[in-house]
Amino acid sequence: MAAGGSSLVMGSAVRLGRCCRLNAWMPGLVPVRGSRYNPYYLEPEIYKERHQIPVTELGPEEAAALELRTTRPIKAALSHQSSSVFYDFLVSKFTNMMMLKGQKLLSRSIMSKTFESIKRKQIESYHKASESEKDAIECNPYKIFHQALENCKPVIGLTSIQRGGKSYQVPTPLTDNRRRFLAMKWLLTECRENRHRRTHMNERLSQELLAAFNNEGNVIKRKHDLHKMAEANRAFAHFRWW
Amino acid sequence: MAARGWRLCAFLQRCSGCSMAMNVPTPVRMSLLVRLIGTSSCLHKKNMAATFHEKYTEEFIKQQIEEFNIGKRHLANMMGEDPETIGQEDIDRAIRYLFPSGVFDKKARPIMKHPLEIFPKQRAVQWGEDGRPFNYLFYTGKQSYYSLIHDTYEQFLNIQMYEDQLRDKGLFSLDCKPINLSGSRWLTKEELEEMLVEHISDQDYLYFLRLLERMLSLPYCSIKEEYVLKFRRRMEDQSKKQIIEALQFDESGVAFSKGEGKRKTAKATVIVRDHGSGNITVNGVDYLFYFPSLQEREQLMFPFQFLNRLGMHDMECTVHSGGISAQAGAIRLASSRALLSFITEKEVESMRQAGLLTPDPRVRERKKPGQEGARRKFTWKKR
Repeated sequence: MAAGGSSLVMGSAVRLGRCCRLNAWMPGLVPVRGSRYNPYYLEPEIYKERHQIPVTELGPEEAAALELRTTRPIKAALSHQSSSVFYDFLVSKFTNMMMLKGQKLLSRSIMSKTFESIKRKQIESYHKASESEKDAIECNPYKIFHQALENCKPVIGLTSIQRGGKSYQVPTPLTDNRRRFLAMKWLLTECRENRHRRTHMNERLSQELLAAFNNEGNVIKRKHDLHKMAEANRAFAHFRWW
Repeated sequence: MAARGWRLCAFLQRCSGCSMAMNVPTPVRMSLLVRLIGTSSCLHKKNMAATFHEKYTEEFIKQQIEEFNIGKRHLANMMGEDPETIGQEDIDRAIRYLFPSGVFDKKARPIMKHPLEIFPKQRAVQWGEDGRPFNYLFYTGKQSYYSLIHDTYEQFLNIQMYEDQLRDKGLFSLDCKPINLSGSRWLTKEELEEMLVEHISDQDYLYFLRLLERMLSLPYCSIKEEYVLKFRRRMEDQSKKQIIEALQFDESGVAFSKGEGKRKTAKATVIVRDHGSGNITVNGVDYLFYFPSLQEREQLMFPFQFLNRLGMHDMECTVHSGGISAQAGAIRLASSRALLSFITEKEVESMRQAGLLTPDPRVRERKKPGQEGARRKFTWKKR
């Protein structure tokens, strides 16, 4: 069996000219969706720890990926990415989704105010709680954010499939990226629409995040509704052919 | 022309009393007269070699090479260089000096290169005097390509035969050394065309690659390793392409290094000094006042934090043009490049894989006519 370089690797934003097989060195390769990078460029690895793992401890896939990275050019790190301990991938994704009209500063300030208000509320409840309950209260706003997002992620989704002129809602599995996206999207739509006009975004967000952390609130309700619909439409699951 | 002469003299012989001068040796003439009776005339009418639409004959190219070599020596004499050791760069410089040209297209300017680089490689005549082609696959139209495919498939069948022999003996096993293909790539379509001196289509190229991959999927493919490696090219390590400047030392013996970086329209130059305490000055102002936002300051610190050198260096930056984020990105690239002089090779490779050493190619897309912006179209109105 051939090792190493005969495996075929390709990013999703590339369309093939005329041929059907995926290969990074095929002619007729055209970058679609307007990436300024040549399709050969690979994504950067910004986490310091991953670079310090010695080669012997890597698995076979990771070793092959490292081999590939030594011979390929790498894209530049984005301007919101950094190797510092304060950089969080999920928080940065959520900030970008919350941003409107390119106002990153505003989005970031809302995020930091949200975390501050979460922390304040939790500290308040920590001081009010009895000794036995103090251990159960989580004060780290990042952990609360991650847990809330996990709780909001739907397990199964619905797609519309047309059969005999009528469109049915068919339950489908979702990829990780899609689940994360849906969770964030629901949080944001909930906080933007269902609020009093004088409540600020950071207050509303902190309320919603704390509720999601405790498996309550409108976003969790929406997730459960989706699950119920999927369960109800179980009969149509065989309509899916992929 | 000579053949016509023979036929003419044959005709004239029949009509006797001809006093035309025959400047041909008689025995040859007689033997040719005998030959002429049975053969068809079409084969003798044209010079078969010349029907090939050969752009440049071999003699022509040889002559060009001689002229080039003589011309090189003349040029060396003119420019005061040594005729024996004059190189292509010296020739280019001399031509640019002697024939200065302000033509916009670089390819339209006068060049003096070896004829083999200028005239495209073309195949010699593929058939002999009698018009029969040498290669048995000539009439396929792509003889080198198809003969290559036949050879490759022959190797494939040989591997299968070898495996069958082993199976008969009972020595067949699946754990055998595979061919090491890491760090190499398949040759590109252009390289294959160069190798075959023939034009091939995309589908042909892909079929050839598929055939090779099929060959590699056999367990005992390592017996034909040499053959397969002919079609692999080494990929050089990207980290070797980084230009690392040497450390410089100022009067007090403190090491420093300079770096330049660009991002969108912003351009930055940076001096990173050793034995510092993490002070960063941008355009004479402290970085805390120049970049009030946290994201930009994180970008400035990214390279240092990645290398665990946060409080060890002082940085002095000058940056102009561009916006806030663009300036921060330019300083980040410049400081990464400056830091290359202080660190080991492994750390250089880690930095490259973290994306710190690649200049970001994303720039503002131009507005197109007929649209409101780069992508946004005008509002569609039904009437």
